[in-house]
Amino acid sequence: MNWTDVADLVIKGNNREVEHVLKNYPYIPAIAEDLRKKKLQVLEDLPRYIQETMKNVEKLGGHAYLARDADEARKIIGKIVSTKKTVVFSKSNVAYEIGLREFLQETGNDAWETDLGEYLVQLQNGWPAHIVAPAIDLTREDAATLVSRIDKNITKDSKIEDIVAAVRKFLMDKYIKADVGITGANAVAADSGSIALVENEGNIRIDSVLPQTHISVTGIDKIVPTLPDALNEIYVQSAYAGLFPPTYINITSGPSSTGDIELKRVSPATGPKDFHLVLIDNGRLNASRDEKIKEALLCIKCGRCYLACPVYRAIGKEWISTKSPYGGPTGVMWNYITNNDPWPASFCMHSGGCSEVCPMKIDIPTVIREIKSRGNRTLS
Amino acid sequence: MDEKAVMKELPAVRKLVYGNLMETYLPFPVDMKASSRWAVEADVPRNTDTIIFTSHMYQMGSMFKNYEKYIPLFTKLGGSKMIASVGSRLIKTDKSEAERSTRILKNIYSMLLKSGIKCGYLYEDEPYSGSLLLELGFVDEFMEYGRKLLSLFKSRGVKNIYTVDPHTTNSLTNLKKMIGFDIKSTPYLNAISGTNGSGKFVLHDSCLYSRFLGMYDDVRLVAKNAGIELLEDPDVTGKSTSFCCGGPIGPVNAEISSKVASLRVKQLNTVSDTILVVCPLCYENLSEFGNVKDIAEVMA
Ligand code: SF4
Repeated sequence: MNWTDVADLVIKGNNREVEHVLKNYPYIPAIAEDLRKKKLQVLEDLPRYIQETMKNVEKLGGHAYLARDADEARKIIGKIVSTKKTVVFSKSNVAYEIGLREFLQETGNDAWETDLGEYLVQLQNGWPAHIVAPAIDLTREDAATLVSRIDKNITKDSKIEDIVAAVRKFLMDKYIKADVGITGANAVAADSGSIALVENEGNIRIDSVLPQTHISVTGIDKIVPTLPDALNEIYVQSAYAGLFPPTYINITSGPSSTGDIELKRVSPATGPKDFHLVLIDNGRLNASRDEKIKEALLCIKCGRCYLACPVYRAIGKEWISTKSPYGGPTGVMWNYITNNDPWPASFCMHSGGCSEVCPMKIDIPTVIREIKSRGNRTLS
Repeated sequence: MDEKAVMKELPAVRKLVYGNLMETYLPFPVDMKASSRWAVEADVPRNTDTIIFTSHMYQMGSMFKNYEKYIPLFTKLGGSKMIASVGSRLIKTDKSEAERSTRILKNIYSMLLKSGIKCGYLYEDEPYSGSLLLELGFVDEFMEYGRKLLSLFKSRGVKNIYTVDPHTTNSLTNLKKMIGFDIKSTPYLNAISGTNGSGKFVLHDSCLYSRFLGMYDDVRLVAKNAGIELLEDPDVTGKSTSFCCGGPIGPVNAEISSKVASLRVKQLNTVSDTILVVCPLCYENLSEFGNVKDIAEVMA
């Protein structure tokens, strides 16, 4: 199957799934509308919300950091992880954005992606093809060929179940040895300092509980006012990604704790001894002050706009995802925010499906046109 | 993607399009006699405060589509004037295409007349809307040209505009927001009534009409009222599931433009062999891969 056939199948499937979810859980659009308001509220005063979040993380016995750019973020995390550690990663676009896995490998650590799709992308030494389904462009045979590198029993004719089992076996060994688990965060609640993560595979749960150190690395755009808002972001993200109800929702508020003796909350208990939240700016703060770009920060990375875009349908990750984990229409906006690169915008044909399907009602074509025009202004 | 090529091409396109527009109100040399033939044949009046504004879109559809072919040459040649003269030798619409556009525009005019709308035409003074600038992201240039366009219309006493295509309609809508373009404009599809048509088609929506200008239902209603049967499939013709013909990316990357067009036709053909469009650029892009008709060819 070539890319356009795969895309066609995925797009049809996602449309049906989302339609089905919205029919069965009719409260979702209202939650999305409310979430948009809450996220806009945060963008009005991002520095104050960052402070509040960091203060509340520390209150729970965690550590919070604000990194201005990728380099600073790598340094902070490099210091926490140190060297010769086994590190398990759950799918995090921000980790890709700052080149974290490669950095930790280069500094002498054994670092592994644990989301199946992301693991295949790691074996491939490539870039994710989609924000929710990173290996969407790989066929069963492609996956088998990649996994045969770590398990000799896998051949190009192996069944999907066998490929998944081989990866599971490989990762189990890494989970047991892991010193550090690195996750992203779908949302961060300012009022509690909690992070919310959604998943289906169960790897995030292990990554965030089994290793004795848990680092969550995420963008400042993920901050929402309250813990219920964070849960709402999870509901909306998974509904519009077409995977609702999600198999697992994880809320982490600081390191593991117990209040079993005299009702006194002490840390650590069984899970991680340390919890670190690394918030990354990398262009986001500027964007929040830029009226014409600001809306892009409302993106909850559901990946729906990719599937409504004819350019993505035609050329997939070749468009942007060779230099950024963010692809499709949202990738045009996010590659501009985080890489200051306007050029992928030139390929936008203003089909407009992106804003039709966006749960956050981001006026994506207008933001992209602005980016296009900013790029053009630099041309002599 | 080959962004370097784009960065090299775009300045040449800007120089050419913007340069020519500011000098001549046209993005490239247009044979004005050919462009206004339909109006001569239909005996459309001059000097009226209500006009039909074709923006040369039907007449020059193939030029817009083939624009990208000339870009490497334009890039090599440089200056806009020189390019303009080279362009006049190079770019031509063929005879059957010219006849088709004459037929379509005469029909649009007669449908407006039939609906009680009397309008004139600017003939040799008819400008281009500037939509190419807007769509390529030359927003500053588009606004500047928009001001020039507005004063041209005002100097001709124009008070009411009927547009015939989505790109022009969208340009004027944007100019309203951007520079306060204060002349009323209406897409002809929203003005006609009492038309008769026939045939069974799958509609390829114009992105601009359906998703930017709120006309998804309007276009269907026009077809339905005329007696045209439209076949729908939620995966193909839904407001959020349908997609572009690939036309607007032509000047930037012909390959992607063509790929999108062929994907779209393949998808539309799962619903019907005959495709209906409401935009001259959609026609140009899609007709290379399938059997396409403009709505103004199947109703009167
Ligand atoms: S821009 Fe909208 S549709 Fe696209 S990933 Fe973000 S939230 Fe989802």
